[in-house]
Amino acid sequence: MARILLKFSEKQVYEPITSEVVIETKAPINILSANITPRGGEILAEVNAEDVDKVAATFRRRGVAVAVQRKIEVDRDRCIDCGACYSLCPVDAISFERDRTVAFDVEKCVACELCVDTCPTRAIHL
Amino acid sequence: MQLRRWRLTSQTLRTIEEINEKIKKGDAVVLTASEMKELVKAKGTQVAAKEVDVVTTGTFGAMCSSGAIINIGHADPPIKIDKAWINDVEACHPGAAVDLYIGATIMDPKRPFEYGGGHVIEDLIRGREVELRATSYGTDCYPRTQLETRIAKDDLNQFYLIDFRNGYQRYDCATNSRDETIYTYMGKLLPNYGNATFSGAGSLNPLCNDPDYETIGIGTRIFLGGGQGYIIGEGTQHEPTTGFGTLMVRGDCKKMSAEFIRGAAFTKYGTTLYVGIGVPIPILNEGLAKKTAIADDEIFTDVVDYGTPRRDRPKLRKASYEELKSGRIEVNGRTVKVSPLSSLRTAEKIASSLKKWIEESTFYLTSPVERLPRDTTVRPARQTSEIPFVESLTRPVVTCTEDETVEAVARRIIERSVNHIVVVDDSGLLRGIVTSWDITRAVANGVKGLREIITRRVVTTSPSEPVEVAARKLSQHNISALPVLDGKGKVLGIITAEDISKLIGR
Repeated sequence: MARILLKFSEKQVYEPITSEVVIETKAPINILSANITPRGGEILAEVNAEDVDKVAATFRRRGVAVAVQRKIEVDRDRCIDCGACYSLCPVDAISFERDRTVAFDVEKCVACELCVDTCPTRAIHL
Repeated sequence: MQLRRWRLTSQTLRTIEEINEKIKKGDAVVLTASEMKELVKAKGTQVAAKEVDVVTTGTFGAMCSSGAIINIGHADPPIKIDKAWINDVEACHPGAAVDLYIGATIMDPKRPFEYGGGHVIEDLIRGREVELRATSYGTDCYPRTQLETRIAKDDLNQFYLIDFRNGYQRYDCATNSRDETIYTYMGKLLPNYGNATFSGAGSLNPLCNDPDYETIGIGTRIFLGGGQGYIIGEGTQHEPTTGFGTLMVRGDCKKMSAEFIRGAAFTKYGTTLYVGIGVPIPILNEGLAKKTAIADDEIFTDVVDYGTPRRDRPKLRKASYEELKSGRIEVNGRTVKVSPLSSLRTAEKIASSLKKWIEESTFYLTSPVERLPRDTTVRPARQTSEIPFVESLTRPVVTCTEDETVEAVARRIIERSVNHIVVVDDSGLLRGIVTSWDITRAVANGVKGLREIITRRVVTTSPSEPVEVAARKLSQHNISALPVLDGKGKVLGIITAEDISKLIGR
């Protein structure tokens, strides 16, 4: 299984895009979490590994931003444990330990890249 | 009664000289600010005041008004430097022939938002060689016009950190009302109040632990960037009257460590320097024991909308550092994650390092020769010309709802002689926009329902946006009007290209 993070714009929220993609690709999509508001939304979903490219391309054709999961890498020598990245993470993969060390749960990461350009010491890479 | 209590708490328990005697013998009792809070909670102020000699504080945050002065020595033939670059970052030349100031925020033009003065300072502190390039016009005494060389910290006569504003007592918490992500000196802020950021160490912050600056002033010896430095006065924009005190500091970079001085970059904002500062607070009286026991839930700051690009940004609410450090706060009825921008882990480490130095008799306290001022305020810039804002050009808007017919809206356009009708819901929130051109096309194509022709993705403005920014939006999107919204998406009016051109033509 592979994970994909879909980002819908304000306008796209009013269109049945996910169903259209399922019908077109005939690929099963398992929605893990969805946060949809009139201002836009995000869906985290699982698809079969062999379907990922096809599903991602079909969503992208409809203007949806798609992030296919890769893993973030953190350079601990550069990281200063400020936590600037913490509030950008949509899946709670970044947290603080008791002593305020910033902890990265790579398994949870969906490679949305939101945190990457927020790191002041450029310690996060994909 | 109160006066008696004040006399009691301000009664001198020990002097700096006595504390230094104890440090010399290795007998001084030193606690970090975090440990002090625990002790006072457990045993009360009186006991803590009796037992503890020094409380150490710490903060490690992005401090843009930082930089280093270097003296590179004279070349042969000598040069009176006019312009200079270190690793392609322009250095300022503030003095005689070979003194340079490296400002943390100056960027390498070839690597903008990635490498700047802060990184040059870090590289030098790490012992790395940097490229120096300098030019001049040549004089009788300094004939040379060009210099290119490599330098490392040991080649420099002086290499001092001289920061004119550091260690803010507390700082705003930032969020963003706009419908787009913005990149600020408070980091990346997601649209529609999607996240928040804050800076400052709260109850660990030096000035928060001595808010009346009883022991802090010119000449106070401090932990600075991993070495020993000094406070040389109040920082610029020092505003003790509202709890926003700042420090001006100086320290020898050659003795600093990159663990506590770090070049940093804020995407689409600029480069800066993370500076580690720790101030020892001598517990001279019971009052200071009480002050150093201050907790995060007693320090409040404003949650501010950085989506408003003005000097006075709207304040949304107050939040304590306890809430901020919890990682989540409520903004506009919604719980959002809040990022610290300063490293609380490193702040704690600074307080512990300073404690260790004092316990090992390698750091002695000083009495300030002059305390920091307690009565100053910050003035805004004097402006000799005014900039127009959207507010001044906003006109009342003609609206409709989604359920209306094309015909009804066409009639309204004629009656009110406008070109733009803003679609709103029952509570006045923006749902879309319809132009006279959309209506014309709908009539030509026989479309009856309004819903089909509404433009949903509307470019908007706010009352406090400069007209110049609004004009840029119009031309970028090739449109002729912008609905004016408040922070909650409610339509307040409209600004048109026609009105803007009238203003500019005036």
